[in-house]
This record gives sequence, C-alpha cells and structure tokens, in this order.
Amino acid sequence: MYKVLTVKDLESGYGSMQVLWKPSLQVKEGTITSLLGPNGVGKSTLLVTVFGSIEPWNGRIYFGDQDVTNLPSHKKVEMGLALAPEGKHLFPKMSVYENLSMGAYRKKALAHKEESLKLVYTLFPRLKERKNQMAGSMSGGEQQMLTIGRALMTKPRLIMLDEPSQGLAPKLVGEVFETIKKMKEEIGLTILLVEQNASASLDAADYVYIMHEGLIKAEGKPEEIKGSPEIREAYLGM
Amino acid sequence: MEVEQLTGNLLQGLVLGAVYGMATMGLSLIFGVLRIVNVGHGAFIMVGAFITLWLFNAFGINPLLAIPFAFMFGMGLGLIFYYAAIRKLRNAPELATLLVTFSFGILLEEVVKFIFGSEFRGYNWIVGKVNLGVTVLPMSKMYACFGSALVALLLYLWFNKTRAGVAMRSVVQDSEGARVCGVNVGGVYAFSFALGIGLTVVSGVMLTMFIPVGINPYMGGGYTLKAFVIAVLGGLSSPYGAFFGGLIFGLIENGSYTLFALIPGVEPFAMTRFLSFAMLLIILLIKPTGLLSTK
Repeated sequence: MYKVLTVKDLESGYGSMQVLWKPSLQVKEGTITSLLGPNGVGKSTLLVTVFGSIEPWNGRIYFGDQDVTNLPSHKKVEMGLALAPEGKHLFPKMSVYENLSMGAYRKKALAHKEESLKLVYTLFPRLKERKNQMAGSMSGGEQQMLTIGRALMTKPRLIMLDEPSQGLAPKLVGEVFETIKKMKEEIGLTILLVEQNASASLDAADYVYIMHEGLIKAEGKPEEIKGSPEIREAYLGM
Repeated sequence: MEVEQLTGNLLQGLVLGAVYGMATMGLSLIFGVLRIVNVGHGAFIMVGAFITLWLFNAFGINPLLAIPFAFMFGMGLGLIFYYAAIRKLRNAPELATLLVTFSFGILLEEVVKFIFGSEFRGYNWIVGKVNLGVTVLPMSKMYACFGSALVALLLYLWFNKTRAGVAMRSVVQDSEGARVCGVNVGGVYAFSFALGIGLTVVSGVMLTMFIPVGINPYMGGGYTLKAFVIAVLGGLSSPYGAFFGGLIFGLIENGSYTLFALIPGVEPFAMTRFLSFAMLLIILLIKPTGLLSTK
C-alpha cells in the first residue's frame, strides 16, 4: 500500500531539551494510524515537527516520495498535509465561518472552498448552526469540531489529529471517534491520530504505534496490541 | 473667552492627535503581530524627521512628497533589522528583544548624529493658513492631520479587505492557528516588522509637518514615551485602536494645557507630561489590556 507519510529517526525538541529520540513510523494511504502513549512522551512534538511548527534537528520526513524534512509548513499545507493542533489554536475573534474560511487560505484550497465547506457542515452540522458565532465563545466540544473542520478546509490528503477527544464529555468522545471513522470511510482521508484515550483509539485504528520517552516502543495491528498484556501494562496502563 | 480658547486648543489637539495616532500605529502593529516591544520606536520617528529635513533643505522637495520616500526607506530599514536580528530572536526571552530594539535606537541616533551633527534644526515650509473660526491653523498641520487619517483608513481597509491583511490578522489572533491554515507565518513576521517601521518613519514626516523645528538626533525619546501611553490607550495590539488612542491623547494633552494654564504658578507644559503618565498608570491599573481593547 502507498505510504503517505514516512518518518525516519526523527530528532527534535525545545531549546536544548531533546524530546524526540529517533522515532520512525509510516502512515499508509486510506488508514487510521494511531500514535498512543501517556502524557509527555513526545507525541505532540512529533506531530508539530512533522508539520514544521518546530524544526527537526535530525532524521528525515517524507510526504509521499518527496523529502519534506526542511520544507516550511505553508508549503506542506499546499501539498496536502493538515494538522488539527493540540490546544485548538482557533481565531477567537473570528466567527465559525471566518475560521473555516481561513482554512481555505491557500489558493489550491480556495478553489475547492464551497465543496469543502459543504463537507465540513455535513460532518459537523453543529458548525453550520453556529456559523456566525465567535469561535472564542463556543463550548470545548464545538471548538474541537471547528479545529478539525478548519483542518479539513485545507483539502488535505493526510490529516493529523492531536488529542481530538481531550477534555470532552464521554458521550462526545464517542461522537468524535465516529466522525473520524467517517472521515476515513466516506471521504477516503488518511489519518494520523494522537491520543491518550487508548481504548477508543485501538477500536478506531488500522495500525498502532506506541510511543514512550521520545521513541517508538512497539507497533502492530490493534488486535496484536490488545493481545499483548506486556505492552498494555507497560505503556497503556490498561 | 476661555471657552473659546479651550475649543480652539481642543481642535488643535485633535489635529495633533491624528499625527500622534499615526506615530503609534507602527508600534502597535509590531507588538500585535510579533509580540515585540520596539523600545527604539522614537529613533525611527527621528529618521523620518531627518529625511524630510534633508529632502526639503537640500533639494527643496515638498514634505508631502517625502512620504513615499520615507515609507520605502523605512520598509527597507525594517527588513534589514528583521533579518539581521529580530528573526533569530523570535523565541528568545523578552529581555533579548528589548535590548536589541533599544540598541537599534541608539545605533540610528549615533549614525544620524555622525552625518548631520547634534544641533537642533528646522525647516520653513510656507503653505498658508486656514481659519477654523475658533483657531487658525497652518495648512501644513492640516496636511499632516488628514495624511495621518488617510494612512489609518488605508491600513484599516488593507487589514480587512486583502488576503495579506487577513493573514496578518490571523497571526495576531493565533500564530500557530495561522500556520495550520497555510499562512507563511515567517513571511508575515518579516513584512509586518517592515510595515511597522515604514509607518513609523512616515509618522516622522508628519510630525515635522506639525512641528518643523527642534529636529535633532535625540528627539525620539519623548515620542517613544507618548507612543507607549497611546498604544496602551488604544488596546496595544490594534493599529487603528492606536489611531483613536492618539486622538484621545491629543485632546487630553491640549485640553489640559489650557486648564493648567489657568492655575497661577503652574507650568502647563510640564503638567501635561505629568498628566499623560498619570493616565498610563491609571489605565494599567484599571484595564491593563488597554482602554479601547475588546478583550
């Protein structure tokens, strides 16, 4: 199967503190690949390094066949890499609609703005109802939807979701995971999912990487991870 | 009689306030986008003043025509300073950028002193006067006022109607969010810094139209302080908020001047300075995000 994203021996961090210690992973087209692990092991750092918010120190990142290791983020967005970042990073003083429009900022995405908008409103009818509301005044769950919706507006091939269920009520967590599965099955998107909620991600994922202390400790199909008490106990606490 | 004088002074204050506002927009823009306080702000105003003086005295060029030249020169200066130092300090502690912009100011002052010397200079641009009933104003002041208002309006339209302006607004609200949308955030930083410096240098042109004397390498300090008060009035990170902050500041400065002059034994000019800083303190105590901010 075609590999949309390949990460090889990636190293990066903040200031002089190294966070990533050469993790490697692959994301195959049309799959949900889940990156699991407890808080503070470098999952978000891996996503922002791949996206280009922080610079990689070493290692390589390939998008499709192309080496994008040192490419700036806006070029990656243009190529079809999207990020729904941790902490949402919405534009609080813009309306829901304006936030979504910002997602179609690149010319390529702008050409498909209407169809992308329709798609986002179908996935999240709530956003359509609230399209004129200021993003800063919405509930946590709605903001989460908007974060994913805005990333979808960039017309991505691969969407990286950072903790989409964080801080949500249990009922909403189920809804978010349903939507993620829909994004794969109905739209054919490729998804790299970072989560702390191990059980829900194991159910949704096609392939799982377990991260710990800045590197990949285990990988496999969800059944294999679930079937291994050692992995579950050592890294997932379940 | 005094009422008439007060009205006249307030009108003068409004005209001066527009120029003050213009002189603060660059500071607010740079703070809003880059979260950097340009402590050397006044030195860039001084550069604009010297550009006007030099063009007028050496070539007889109309100060209005100095505006585009000052803008291009300021943009260039801003780009040089951005790529020479600011870019590498994006994530550095605040003290680093404070020291760097402070040193920009000193550098500019000393270079200008080296070229032009340190004495006070001026120029004499005679374009007639306009009678506004309660007061008579030189046309040059009116040009400065309307020029400033026009720049503020253009900046507002540019921010709200153009793609590049929207990109800048998005960076002001959340730079990581802008990055996620595919905005070239590094490019926006460079351009905003250049634009902020360009606007500040242009405001130096406007200020000399208002006060065509007292031009010297160290004239910027007082303007830096006033710009800080105005920026806080206007909500810190909004350039057109700064413009309205300038109007209010001009009104208070000139209005209070008239009132202080009525008190025997008080030096009114010194008192207006006192008042502006008392204002800064009070605003920071009551509403630290700025008087006109919506936050």
